[in-house]
Amino acid sequence: MKERTLSYTLMVPAFLIVLATTLYPLAYSFVTSFREWDLTKQRRPGDFVGIENYVHAASESGFQNSLWVTTIFVVTSVIVTVVLAMSLALLLRREGRLHTFTRIILILPFAMSPALIGVSYRFMFNPEFGVLAKGIGAIFPALEGTPWLASPDLAMAILVITDVWHWTPYMTFMCLGGLASIPRETEEAARIDGASNLRIIFGIILPQMKGVLMVTAVLKTIFALKMFDQVVTLTGGGPGTSTETMAFFIFNVGFKWFDMGYASALAWILTAIMMIISAWYVRMLLSERKMATA
Amino acid sequence: MAEVRLVDIEKRYGSFVAVAKQSLTIENGEFLVLLGPSGCGKTTTMRMIAGLEEITAGDILIAGERVNDKPPKDRDIAMVFQNYGLYPHMTVGQNIEYPLKLRGVNKATRQQQVQDTAAKVELDALLGRRPSELSGGQRQRVALARAIVRTPKIFLMDEPLSNLDAKLRVTMRAELKHLHHELGVTTVYVTHDQMEAMTLASRVAVMREGRIVQLDTPRKIYAEPADLFVAGFIGSPSMNLVNGSVTAGRFRAEGIDVPVDLPDRDSVVLGIRPEELDIATDSSAPVAGKLYALELTGDSTLVTMRMGKTSVCARGPADFEAAINEPCYLTPKAGARFHLFDRNSGQRLDG
Ligand SMILES: Nc1ncnc2c1ncn2[C@@H]1O[C@H](COP(=O)(O)OP(=O)(O)O)[C@@H](O)[C@H]1O
Ligand SMILES: [Mg+2]
Repeated sequence: MKERTLSYTLMVPAFLIVLATTLYPLAYSFVTSFREWDLTKQRRPGDFVGIENYVHAASESGFQNSLWVTTIFVVTSVIVTVVLAMSLALLLRREGRLHTFTRIILILPFAMSPALIGVSYRFMFNPEFGVLAKGIGAIFPALEGTPWLASPDLAMAILVITDVWHWTPYMTFMCLGGLASIPRETEEAARIDGASNLRIIFGIILPQMKGVLMVTAVLKTIFALKMFDQVVTLTGGGPGTSTETMAFFIFNVGFKWFDMGYASALAWILTAIMMIISAWYVRMLLSERKMATA
Repeated sequence: MAEVRLVDIEKRYGSFVAVAKQSLTIENGEFLVLLGPSGCGKTTTMRMIAGLEEITAGDILIAGERVNDKPPKDRDIAMVFQNYGLYPHMTVGQNIEYPLKLRGVNKATRQQQVQDTAAKVELDALLGRRPSELSGGQRQRVALARAIVRTPKIFLMDEPLSNLDAKLRVTMRAELKHLHHELGVTTVYVTHDQMEAMTLASRVAVMREGRIVQLDTPRKIYAEPADLFVAGFIGSPSMNLVNGSVTAGRFRAEGIDVPVDLPDRDSVVLGIRPEELDIATDSSAPVAGKLYALELTGDSTLVTMRMGKTSVCARGPADFEAAINEPCYLTPKAGARFHLFDRNSGQRLDG
């Protein structure tokens, strides 16, 4: 009994730190989301306004726009990343010196800081001196001098490209892990049974990768929903508001316009979306495990 | 149906020789069993025939045609994998149907054939299940069914019965033998179970460390093992092997003295099968020692006796009883065969 008391006592400091750094801000922002608090006018949170901040979100055009931008960004970057990662994994799964080398090289984009990626890509797509802009211009002369980041669609495309570039390696490794766990005999049996290479990939390998691909897609979705650094350093949300993702918009509401109440409400909406996806993810993981041990 | 010829084939992994350079011809319609202990290269040999493993050197010919560079699907084979290789995302029925589907068989025929094959391996009730919902033995039968649902040029079976319980194994063995009789398809069958090899094979290739040490009919392999390894591997319980020497036409070792037809020499191993020894009461019997153990097998009793370091086993009548550690005598049955081997090379000495 004494030992148990002691062990709980020893846990108190850690618990206090978690409380102070995580739970308290969370609770505070939750409470704030039901208050009016304009930092330019008042230093302390103002009156409780019920769910007014949430109601406001339903009709306010800035948030509506960010929701739309985020949806486009998440859907395209998740699809492109997962497809690319799976394809790369299929190419890289064989053993061999070249494959090992490529796998090592693949680590690099993931090791880079997202903010730095944004800055690098801004330089590389600069129409005057950017290496990628010039390279594309050399291959397709019609595109020479295109102001890449000045067009809403192209800016979004480049934002997606940087994100895909950043995340594909990590997702490739997840897919490689999944591929390694597929028994070699299933593919060999299909080869003997007379399946073509494409048929083996789509009929034998991908169905067995279903679980891994779902997990990859859900994880990527959560990461894409939170994406912030690249928007700041690459497009700054522009041109106009065409790349203002939710995370970026919430930041602006809170720290540019100092509407803390509204920003908190928006942050909690984003959190709710991610919590729903996470819950789904956990449920899927559990059912996967159940299937694996069956 | 086709003849399979392996000409000077070899398989090395780096410097490790998995299958040593050798040739083997499997006759058209033959049931050839590759028999040997685990790790001797049976699976590797089979995978080379299937085209799943690149061969380091040599040629593989199927029906006279060199297939070295042909992918597995163009070799017209069906294979049962040692660890099943079932498609986990398909039901049992879909697994069995898959080879037919890939070869463009129409749906009605497919379903009929799946039904027939499933019945043969007693899987009819499980067609809707996933492989993950089956026991090891059931999975093995699905793998078997997937192979025999089609009539290919060659069947390759890698220990297809190893995970079945004893009773089902006997049933399946008969089923396979009947199937082979009906279809006459050239079959290469891998096993480490000598009983399976003896009962199924037209010819048995006994392998050891990547090399075929004897290739013969089951009868010949049993009656005339080419060396000590084969002698010890074939037969259950295995052949008694006793170290001794031959002088003046008699083989002598502690507790043993029998006449043999061999010039004088040392380092001889005498082999005699337990079923060719009788229990004697007479103390002048050629094999004498102390009773070590009695094991009733149902139709007979295995009598093990010791003389010094060697032990000798005999198959006696089921009602035989005697006291352990008491003197015991054995005598070769009339017409019993003595096998003589050189102790150092392991090779057979007599004809
Ligand atoms: N891919 C491989 N790489 C290296 N060694 C291998 C490989 N596959 C098999 N071997 C070795 O080759 C030998 C023969 O293996 P195998 O043909 O599977 O034996 P078995 O007779 O039990 O089927 C074994 O010693 C095994 O360790
Ligand atoms: Mg094997």
